[in-house]
Amino acid sequence: MEPPMSNSTRARRGKLPLVAVAAVAALAAVLAGCSSSSSGAGSGASSATAAAAEDKTTTVSISLTSQGCQPKPASVTAGSVEFDVANSDAAAVSEAELRTSDKSKILGEQENLTPGLSGGFTLTIQPGKYVVNCPGAAQQDWTFTVTGKATGADWQSVPQLTSAVSGYSGYINQNTADLVSHTQTFCKAIDAGNMEQAKLRYPQARVYYERIEPVAEIWGTLDTSIDGRWENPVTVASQFTGFHKLEQLLWSDNTLKGASALCAGLVQNEQQLLTLVKSAQYNPLEMASGSTDLVNEAATNKISGEEERYSNTDLPVLQANVDGAMEVVSLFTPYLQQKDPSLLTTINKQNAAVTKVLAKLKASPGYDGTGYVEYSTVLDAQRKQLSGAINAFAEDLSKLSVQVG
Amino acid sequence: MALSRRRLLTGAGLAGAGVAAGGAGGYLASSAAPTAPAAAAPAAAVGDATVPFFGAHQAGIATPAQDRLAFGSLNVVPGASQADVRDLLVEWTQAAAKMTAGQLVGDVAEPNAPPLDTGEAVGSPVSRLTVTIGYGPSLFDDRFGLAPRKPAALAVLPPLPNENLDPAASGGDLCVQACSDDPLVAFHAVRNLARIGMGVVEHNWLELGFGRTSTTSTAQQTPRNLLGFKDGTRNIKAEQTGLMNAHVWVGQETDQPWLRGGSYLVARKIQMHIENWDRDYLQDQENVIGRSKVNGAPLSGGTEFSEPDFAAPGADGQPAIPVDAHVRLASFEHNGGTRILRRGYSYTDGVDPQTGTLVGGLFFIAFMKNPSQFIKLQTSLATDALNEYVHHVGSAVFACPPGVSPGQRWGDGLFT
Repeated sequence: MEPPMSNSTRARRGKLPLVAVAAVAALAAVLAGCSSSSSGAGSGASSATAAAAEDKTTTVSISLTSQGCQPKPASVTAGSVEFDVANSDAAAVSEAELRTSDKSKILGEQENLTPGLSGGFTLTIQPGKYVVNCPGAAQQDWTFTVTGKATGADWQSVPQLTSAVSGYSGYINQNTADLVSHTQTFCKAIDAGNMEQAKLRYPQARVYYERIEPVAEIWGTLDTSIDGRWENPVTVASQFTGFHKLEQLLWSDNTLKGASALCAGLVQNEQQLLTLVKSAQYNPLEMASGSTDLVNEAATNKISGEEERYSNTDLPVLQANVDGAMEVVSLFTPYLQQKDPSLLTTINKQNAAVTKVLAKLKASPGYDGTGYVEYSTVLDAQRKQLSGAINAFAEDLSKLSVQVG
Repeated sequence: MALSRRRLLTGAGLAGAGVAAGGAGGYLASSAAPTAPAAAAPAAAVGDATVPFFGAHQAGIATPAQDRLAFGSLNVVPGASQADVRDLLVEWTQAAAKMTAGQLVGDVAEPNAPPLDTGEAVGSPVSRLTVTIGYGPSLFDDRFGLAPRKPAALAVLPPLPNENLDPAASGGDLCVQACSDDPLVAFHAVRNLARIGMGVVEHNWLELGFGRTSTTSTAQQTPRNLLGFKDGTRNIKAEQTGLMNAHVWVGQETDQPWLRGGSYLVARKIQMHIENWDRDYLQDQENVIGRSKVNGAPLSGGTEFSEPDFAAPGADGQPAIPVDAHVRLASFEHNGGTRILRRGYSYTDGVDPQTGTLVGGLFFIAFMKNPSQFIKLQTSLATDALNEYVHHVGSAVFACPPGVSPGQRWGDGLFT
């Protein structure tokens, strides 16, 4: 029997706002009021649009001049706000940005407005002080105030959480871009007929996917194409196409025959994923449960050795699962320091315990250059120790969702 | 050594005396004695209840699900003949008839012989014991000349989504499903049938179920599975004879007349990633299943027995019962009316030595007119949100013959 296996995770949905996939313009999506749940780009976009239409949209005019960018009116009530930006004759000023009051974060912007052009952006915006900023003008910063009651999900009025979400978005985008480039390197080795190089490059590409997996799984079919394992959810030979099919060819069948085309297809799917994640929108609850999912994955698919059953490169991808989860913890840290510092302490402590067990399995350069020993050489007693540490870590991570959701 | 034997004998004698004095209607050490004390009992306790062994259908299918299960898969040993198998089924019929009536399979009385009954159920109330047998596809291979009697629908299940099967927990020439409200009584039944069959059959695998996960009668409360959710709310109920005939009992459609009145049993050992599930937040658990965890109501609203409204929108405009919710994908509405009678139990195999985590889940048993019903449903579950937390590790299918009347024996239709 193959080691026990579990399915990949899946996108969550429900009445709480979950991951939204907003195909609307990226600017408008930044603070879209309703991050609705969705399992597909199309429906996510429509619910975001529908949510925006529910409330009356307030219009704010911003005229770019050499003097500045005064918003009119300078104060509105919370809700959907359309910023109409126009430049009639200001040669030195070409953009307006809405930023947080400390100016650390851009919430929305209209760039490249040369004289004679106009444009704008729409945001669902929470009560508070903001700054309209126009680089190049005599007065670059203009105060903008939003009054009234917060709308949309509560977290959107908590700067530490909006900042965590935006940081997560950046992390996902970067890792997906790295996934594509490292897979391309992997494919080059295959194309060159260099089996040894290909085996070294495989785990190097895998780690990027294993950091972002809960997000990639929003697009179930794409996830299956990229990361599906034979027994599930593929089961049809012709649909077994991604990393693990290549892994099987390289390590089990010991051939590169057919690998080039498969690898090209893999890159194509990853590029599609990159396009999708760029317009995806996240929320704290989904980030938190995604981090638990990652470590659950480590606890089941990696410990059992089933995920990388042909290559035995389970340890670096297990590390990647943990890294992806800890990125979320790190993004939530400023918030947790106030909300629940003892949970933060516990999570960090459990993570340190995992790190300690993993450290014993490190090697240089390691099996296939992974920095770790070959997983098949890890004894049952060591696996159990690792599993215990990972399960304890996951258990504490699962307490994140109620704090941030 | 002699001393030890004397002590054992004394102990057995005491146990027998205790039962006789109590007259509680439990198994008696002597097979000759059961009727008198049972009749003398002033009022039968719940545990005394028996389920009739004889009838048009085997007991243990439409029978309101008992609390406990012992399920044995057995293989015929190499060299055994058709006559051996036929004789075994005769002996099994007699033994099962006795045990389900609260009698031991033989005396525990002869000092110089091993007791005919293994004895562990002595004194235990029969607790609605049923014994149900079935024939696996392999029984109809070339060993016993049964190929011409093989029903066309009886075949090893094809590869299905979300499975990674352990051959050591799959298949079998024969199965014995023993259900009782007392786990010892259920185990005793399988153990004694296997003992009777020694030299003809051997254990293939054995599973104990410690809590029923299905309701098969309107008189029963809906139990919960290890996910903590009510299971079996929409199951076919024995009282729904129209549904039983349409979906569960084999009828005229079969190519093998001996199977009419029988049913197909599909067993699936479904391991749950219990720890992972426990870490999922409540609302997501409910979205995975499609029901409220506490009261069992569908997410489209109402109470436990409200019909799920799969079209009803939730607050976010998406269906209230998510598109990948288990109850949606498993529903007959989603499967062209396909239904089965579920009769599963929770199981555990202890702890995974490699991970230190619990090994357990659902020992799924279902009865149906044709295994294609299960194949259709399980295929629909390919996109089930629950797949993240469960996978199938064992699989078996058996054709359960119809019931017998007094004087008839299991296998009568098969071998004549």
